[in-house]
Amino acid sequence: MKRASQLTSVLALGAALVAGATLAAKADQLADIRSRGKLICGTLGTAEPFSFQHPQTRQIVGYDVDICQKVAESLGVALELKPIAVEARIPELTQGRVDILAANLGHTPERAQQIDFSFSYFVSQQKIMVTRESGLTLLEQLAGKKVTAIKGSSSEQGVRRLIPTADTVTFQDTSSAFLALVQDKVDAFCASELILVKLRQQAQATNPMVVIEKSLFAEPWGLGLRRGETAFRNHVNGVLAGLESSGEIDRIFTKWLGEGTVFNIRRDFKIEEIR
Amino acid sequence: MGYVFDLGAVLSGQYLNWFLIGIATTLALTAAAWCLAMTVGILLTLVRMIPFRPFEWFVALYVEYHRNVPLLVQIFVWYFGVPSLLPRWARLWINAHHGEFLLATVALGLAAAAYVAEDLRSGIRSIPKTQYEAARSIGFGYLGAMGYIVLPQALRIVIPPLINQTLLLFKNTSLAMAIGVGELTYRTREVESYTFKTFEAFAVATAVYLAVSFCIMALGDFADRRLKLEAR
Repeated sequence: MKRASQLTSVLALGAALVAGATLAAKADQLADIRSRGKLICGTLGTAEPFSFQHPQTRQIVGYDVDICQKVAESLGVALELKPIAVEARIPELTQGRVDILAANLGHTPERAQQIDFSFSYFVSQQKIMVTRESGLTLLEQLAGKKVTAIKGSSSEQGVRRLIPTADTVTFQDTSSAFLALVQDKVDAFCASELILVKLRQQAQATNPMVVIEKSLFAEPWGLGLRRGETAFRNHVNGVLAGLESSGEIDRIFTKWLGEGTVFNIRRDFKIEEIR
Repeated sequence: MGYVFDLGAVLSGQYLNWFLIGIATTLALTAAAWCLAMTVGILLTLVRMIPFRPFEWFVALYVEYHRNVPLLVQIFVWYFGVPSLLPRWARLWINAHHGEFLLATVALGLAAAAYVAEDLRSGIRSIPKTQYEAARSIGFGYLGAMGYIVLPQALRIVIPPLINQTLLLFKNTSLAMAIGVGELTYRTREVESYTFKTFEAFAVATAVYLAVSFCIMALGDFADRRLKLEAR
C-alpha cells in the first residue's frame, strides 16, 4: 500500500512538472498568437472533405482547413497546420502544442470538461451501416448486436449511450472497422453519415450495404480551445458568427460538401452556440 | 490552466472495471498463447530433429516467416485473412465465439512458437556432442541418451531465453488491441478516450505491465537458480 502511494506521488510530481512548464509558457493566448505571427491549428489531415491531402498539390486542404484559415486571417497571422491523430487531439491542445483544433471534433459533455468549444461550425449526422444480407433496417434491432466504431470517436460513445445493450468493438481506423463489417465480425458500423455514404458507394458492387435512415444522433462540431482563454474564444466565436451573417459559410460548405462533390448534401444547420 | 493529476478519476466505477477486465484478458491471452507456443515450439523442435531434409526445410521456413513478418501483420492475416478462406458458416461460428480472442491467441502463439523452437534447438546444440556419444558408448539407446543425458542439461540452459520469450509474449499481447481484443492497452485507450486523463490512464497501464513483467522475471530467476548446473 505504501509502495502504491509512493508511486502515485512520483507520477503526480512528473505530471505537475509537465503542467507547470506549459503553464509558465503563456499568459494570454490571443496576444501570444499575434506576437508569434502564426496560428497553429491541429487538424486530422486524413478526413476528406474536412482535412486531407490534395492529390495534386500535396497540401492539406478541406472544410476544417478553410475555417482555420478564416480565423488566422482575422488575426492577421499566418496559418500553420499540424496533422494529429484522432486520440491525440485533446492532449495536443491541453499541452499547448496547438492553439486550436479543427479536427472533426464532436461536442460531448466529457470533452467539454476538458476543453472549451467554439460555436458549432458543422453538424454531423451519426448513422449506422449494416450489410444488406443482415436484413437489419431499424435502430431498435441493434440491441444485443455487435456494433463497431472508430476507437476514441464520439460515435463509439454514442453507441454505448444510445444502444447500451450492444457489444461495442472498436478499431483504430475506418478500413479495419469496415472490413470487420464486410466479414460479418460485427453486425453494424456507426460513423458519420459522410464516411458511410462514401464507403457504401465504394463497396456497392461487391458488398452491398445499407445505411439506416434514422440518425442515431446528431453531433455538433466545434473548434477546440484551451479552457479559460476567454479573449481568444470570444474572438473565434466572433469570426464564426461573421461567416454565418455574411453567408461566407455557404460558399465554404458548398465547395467541400455541396452539389458537385461526392457527398452532395445541403447545409441543414446554423453556426450557433452549442448547448 | 494547471494539469491536475488525479488517479482516482480513472480508478473508479466503470473505468476501474474496464481496467480489471483488461488485465484479466491480457493475462488470459498470455496464458493461452503461451501454452500454444510451448506445444508448437516443442513439436517443431522434435520435427526438426528427424533426419529428413523436407522436415528441416519446413521448420526453417516456419521460423523465418514468423521472425521476419511484423507481428501486427501476422495478427491481421489471422483475423481478416484466414477466416475469409473458410466457408460462411465457419466464419459465423468463429465470429460468434470470441473470434478476436481466438485468432489473436493463434497469431501470438504461433509467432512465439518460432522463437521457442529456436531457443530449444540452440539449447540442445549447446550440449557437446561427446555427451551424447559417451552416453551411447556406455549402452544408452538414442531415446535414453537424449532423455537422460542431453535434454535435462539442455532444458536448464534454455530456461532464461524461454523466460525472455514469455516476457515478450506478454508485452506483445497489446497488439491484439488492433483487432478489437479488449485487453489492457485497448481498455486503457478506452478509458483515455472517455476521461481524457491520458497521463493517469497510461500510468495505470504502465504500472500493471511493469508489475506483471517483474513477477515473470522473478519466477524465472527462481527457476533458474533452483535448476542451475553446478559449476564444473
